[in-house]
Amino acid sequence: MTLYILRTLVKMVVTLFVIVTLVFFATRLSGSPLDTFLGEGLTPEDREAMIRYFGLEGSIWQQYVSYLRGLLEGNFGLSFLERRPVAQIVAERIGPSLQLLGSSLVLTICVAVPLGVIAALNRSSWVGSAVMALAFVGYAVPNFVIATFMVLLFAFTLNWLPVVGNGTALHFIMPTIAMSGVLIAALTRFTRNAMLDVLGQDFMRTARAKGLPETVVILKHGLRNAGVTVLSVLGLQIAGMAAAGNVVVEAIFSWPGIGELLVKAAIVRDYPVLQFGVITVSCAVVVINAVTDILYAVADPRIRMAKG
Amino acid sequence: MKTFLMTTAAALMASTTFAQSITVGAANVSDYLDPGRDHSNVGSQFYYNAFDTLIDRDHSKLEPEWVPALATEWAMVDDTTMEFKLREGVTFHNGEAMTADDVVFSLNRMYQASFAPYQVRAKDRLANFAEAVKIDDYTVQIKVHRAEPLWETLVSLQQVMIIPEEYTKALSGDPLVAEDGDYEAFSLAPVGTGPYAISEFTPGQKVVYTRFDDFWGDLAPLEQATVIRIPETASRITALKTGEADIVTNIAPDQLALINADANLKTEGSATALFHVMIMNVNHPNLTDPKIRQAMSYAIDRDLLNEALWLGKAVVPSTHTMEEMGALHMPELTTFEYDPEMARKLLAESAYDGEEIVFDAFPVYYTNGVLAAQAIIEMWAEVGINGKLNVTDKWTGNDPEMMARSWSNPMYFADPFGSFGVMWAPDGPSEGAGRFNTDDAYAEAWERFRFSKDVDARRAAYGELMERIKQDPPVLPLYRPFESWGMNKSINWKPQSGHIPYVLDFRAGAIALADS
Amino acid sequence: MTVSTHIPTRGASLMTLWREADGIQKAAALIGVTLVLLALFAPLIAPFDPLKQSLISRLRPPMGFERYKDGFFLGTDELGRDVLSRSLFGLRLTLGLALLGAIIGLLVGGTLGLVAGLRRGWAEDTIMGAVDLQIAVPFTLVALLILALFGSSLTVMICVLGIAGWEQYARIVRAEVRKITELPFIEAARASGGGPRYIALTHVLPNIVSPLVVQFTLSLSNIVILESTLSFLGLGVQPPTATLGSMVGYGRDYMPTAPWMVSVPAVLIILITFSVQILGDWLRDRADVRLRAR
Repeated sequence: MTLYILRTLVKMVVTLFVIVTLVFFATRLSGSPLDTFLGEGLTPEDREAMIRYFGLEGSIWQQYVSYLRGLLEGNFGLSFLERRPVAQIVAERIGPSLQLLGSSLVLTICVAVPLGVIAALNRSSWVGSAVMALAFVGYAVPNFVIATFMVLLFAFTLNWLPVVGNGTALHFIMPTIAMSGVLIAALTRFTRNAMLDVLGQDFMRTARAKGLPETVVILKHGLRNAGVTVLSVLGLQIAGMAAAGNVVVEAIFSWPGIGELLVKAAIVRDYPVLQFGVITVSCAVVVINAVTDILYAVADPRIRMAKG
Repeated sequence: MKTFLMTTAAALMASTTFAQSITVGAANVSDYLDPGRDHSNVGSQFYYNAFDTLIDRDHSKLEPEWVPALATEWAMVDDTTMEFKLREGVTFHNGEAMTADDVVFSLNRMYQASFAPYQVRAKDRLANFAEAVKIDDYTVQIKVHRAEPLWETLVSLQQVMIIPEEYTKALSGDPLVAEDGDYEAFSLAPVGTGPYAISEFTPGQKVVYTRFDDFWGDLAPLEQATVIRIPETASRITALKTGEADIVTNIAPDQLALINADANLKTEGSATALFHVMIMNVNHPNLTDPKIRQAMSYAIDRDLLNEALWLGKAVVPSTHTMEEMGALHMPELTTFEYDPEMARKLLAESAYDGEEIVFDAFPVYYTNGVLAAQAIIEMWAEVGINGKLNVTDKWTGNDPEMMARSWSNPMYFADPFGSFGVMWAPDGPSEGAGRFNTDDAYAEAWERFRFSKDVDARRAAYGELMERIKQDPPVLPLYRPFESWGMNKSINWKPQSGHIPYVLDFRAGAIALADS
Repeated sequence: MTVSTHIPTRGASLMTLWREADGIQKAAALIGVTLVLLALFAPLIAPFDPLKQSLISRLRPPMGFERYKDGFFLGTDELGRDVLSRSLFGLRLTLGLALLGAIIGLLVGGTLGLVAGLRRGWAEDTIMGAVDLQIAVPFTLVALLILALFGSSLTVMICVLGIAGWEQYARIVRAEVRKITELPFIEAARASGGGPRYIALTHVLPNIVSPLVVQFTLSLSNIVILESTLSFLGLGVQPPTATLGSMVGYGRDYMPTAPWMVSVPAVLIILITFSVQILGDWLRDRADVRLRAR
């Protein structure tokens, strides 16, 4: 087990190192901040001065080495644009993103798990088909379409809900729904399939044979067993989707999150922000994945054997 | 004016229990706040509320009318020196008293810039300024290299607003020395002498102004003004409707009717003192023949663009001039016009053979920018120019491959030097970027335009420069865009003609709230 | 045990398929076919040149509304172009891009998965490492960054869409290859002197077609959504060319004033993803049944 965790950790570090390297070279080879509007109207001497100011002199290899050294020392650099530590900037932005992710997760679980169970139990009736059709709709509608139409209806026309920022609980309603559509669709399907698998298992028959009421059988035995699968899927799928899929939602609702920060940083080639932001996001995803893996292995010894 | 102030006072008294505070939804918020370093269209919104210059002007008037600000009197000492008597009893937002030391520090950080971002700004407009010298605690002299015809104008620039010396120097490293780190720290925690203190600043997201009770002039009419970033147009308008914002910026003409249709809302706008321009690279191998570039200009029906995209509210200029420029406003010149026949004729005479001409445009930075660019490509096609649009966030203005692109020429101050001049000077940014050439004759005419004492001599020289531009065009001003702000009807605010573009002026007399 | 090729449609004529389908699946199939036909024949159906501007008739509403302009059934956009024609050509481009992206993903991912499955050692480790990497970084983010960094041209866009789902194919193919190569008949083939390439082509490939078809279909809708999202953010193809996503993106400022500009392409996007999802799921169920029956 320790060995397995160790392997997972080593893999994690290697993955992050590769990501750092890729991001470093991709950003620098694609242009400098002076090719963006930061360089608007600069004469050649001005450009020289600005290159020194941004600390971009020297070969790309020298810069790479000094960047890595900085990383090891915990020095992630200053934003070109804002001239303050990128760790501070990213920290400011990651909070709101996580809040939105959290509220979306709660909504997703509350809606998708019951729907999935209902769909599984009513597999051959119209109820099941209807639930699944609903799930397909959720999958089919891009979040920017949901968001745009919700803003028009609930804020612009009805004036019920606020659209700017993350100030109050009301502010969470529309962005959360916009974020959750796809997640709900995905999780409903996984729950349904997991439940279907479980419903056919021997222990379910045993439970029923013991004369337990159907609700208890389903909730206690069925859902608990399907839950393992569902949770692992959740960890994998959602971390990835949510970390990035909200760029659009953040823009529409002026949400001070990380997605929008990174896109802006990419556009003006604010290397330090971009690098640290991508590292943070991938770190989060890699860690969630690793933890899911390990928990899964702890819960299910067969996997440990197979993997280890 | 007086009635306006009365209304303000009445409004203040009427609602003493009601907090006089507003929220502004802006398309963009600055990533740093330092008036010296900044000359962006985004930044210019933010400085006037919190900072003062030595000399100010009456911003309600188009013609410059200089008024005392941090300096109470100013007079020439000799040809190249002006002396300023400073106002006593002025306090910075952090409590420091303002003295000659602060003024000298603020000015020389620009005039004798060592910090790279200042150097860039200092060179294009302050190159003639040698230094500021302290005479006594409340007297300062500014020295220029050559006799300066634009003294007041260049002393009232945003870039030479006054900041506190001790505070700034102590921000990082050695508290007695001005280091780069000090200026960087300042731009995150800016302090000035204006009627509002910047009490909260989240770069790129939020600026909070709070009334500064020790302000030397008329107290600010608002308790607090919060500017937040709302990048999406539809979200800005919606925020106005839901009451989350009291004023919103950057409303395109197409959206005006929507806001005006709401009984609680209104819009205010003006043809902003800047040109959206098309620049052309005179040194691109396919465009070296001036006839091709002339044709590219003649082909564009700017009046149609104005009618269609700006509802006729933009201003299409005949030459690179603006009415703000007073005696130097020269609408009688015809440097740019629409003439598709001429365009076809010039193309036929030129070596042009259907080569693709790429037009670069920023995706969202300029209102209607991508729309205008697409329309221009169509207009080119009408006369036989094979244009192609390239929408990119990249600034291609100093790329030798660049052929044509959209840009803006703002009026940084009310003189042709402050608009055409900053961009198209010999060795200026355009020539430096390699897409514009000047020769001795151009430089000589430039000298007369820039430094002649006599206004007529300056006008004549400017006319010569415009003729050069006409014959070998590197730029076509499309129009002064009509920029609009949407707001709640209870707010009495509008852009004032004496300001540079986009300034959010919430000083006494500039804004008032009706009782609500 | 005889193993033959198991393509889900084999032996089942289209008619049988149709008869087995439920109502929703039939609807999805009809929608899908209609969309493909519209896209294929867009140049014939579209009443106007999708790029033709008319600055004097901008923002005209669809038929049946005041200020409707004759012939422009679904109204005009912010430059006076025909929304119907633009939507049809947008549909064509969106579907084309998605198809191209999915094919690239299939080829790249499939090949790498095959290599990883047939060869062990460093090749497999590297490929599976890359798969893990792709999973670790959220792809929408990667795509956004690539387009922001390298500019938005058609080529870059296709590449981005192509690498969007390759890791799924690689995993599926590798797993299937592993499973199959452990079966006795492969051992027999190997023993009788068949090289890895021979084995791959004759024995492995036919057996993995079924899961690949399913994955291909499902990834199509993901790619359509990805493309739309990127275009919505202004990082897609260059105007004046339009995809459905870029029409929604550029039109969103006009949402309250000219909702037809956004609604038409938005509905088309939803129809595509909806029908593709249902069809993909249907194929998967059928494939599952066959796999179980095997």
